[in-house]
Amino acid sequence: MRKFLLILALVAVAIPASAQQVNLDFPGLADRAEEVVDVTLDSAMLRLGAKFLSGDNEDERAVRDMIKNLQGIYVRSYEFSEAGEYDRGLIDKVKSQLGPTWKALVTVRSKTKENVNIFADMHGDKVTGLVIISAEPREFTVVNIVGPIDIERLASLEGQFGIPRISRGKNSD
Amino acid sequence: MNLENDLKRALRRESPPAGFAGRVLEQAKSGAAGSQPAGSRRRAESSPFHWWRAAAASVMLAAVLGGYALHEVAERRRGERAREQVLRAMSIASEKVRYAQQQVREIGSH
Repeated sequence: MRKFLLILALVAVAIPASAQQVNLDFPGLADRAEEVVDVTLDSAMLRLGAKFLSGDNEDERAVRDMIKNLQGIYVRSYEFSEAGEYDRGLIDKVKSQLGPTWKALVTVRSKTKENVNIFADMHGDKVTGLVIISAEPREFTVVNIVGPIDIERLASLEGQFGIPRISRGKNSD
Repeated sequence: MNLENDLKRALRRESPPAGFAGRVLEQAKSGAAGSQPAGSRRRAESSPFHWWRAAAASVMLAAVLGGYALHEVAERRRGERAREQVLRAMSIASEKVRYAQQQVREIGSH
């Protein structure tokens, strides 16, 4: 009986931890996009990346501190040459994957500008995962951060750290 | 009778010639030196060929060190790429959250 309870407890702990990762597979979207950002960082890659973040640079130090307990960061961003080149139903596709522990923190709706939805996986007061969906007429971006994250601190990060936003063009990579 | 005398003469006790014992001991010593263990004799014979063993060891060492250096370079490249990806991802996430916050503030101020 004790063993059963222990296994049940482990499963209960493991399910939310694994459920935070969202499927960001959008078949064919990259082919239609003019520019694509595709970032997939699992736990091992985050640890490796953290080793190479500079301790002398304040922003990099802050990033290193923020990612130390994360299990993954996944970003898909598509920029199109014309408006309406992606299906807005993709937003619902992402939203539908979020379980009952996910709460909508911010929803920004605009007819002409950027629509942003921010969802947080809440366990008590703690944010243990984040999904950001940004939909513009010519751009669609989804960010999935798996693990505990301080949203205020995330917002306070300044600049692009000298890294170009686009990781690859449509026909490269 | 002659046979008997001949046998007596042939089998009579006779002292060894002078220096016989010394010669026997000397012979025994030189014989022992000649029959040294096979391994050490082989080592002694192959000593002129030690150079190829040293060369092989050097090549192996160079290969190991070279492999390690290549691994380090590849690992460094992977690390730099991971760092770049981390910064890019955090930059995008931060930008989106900031935008949302700004919109919320703007709406709140109206």
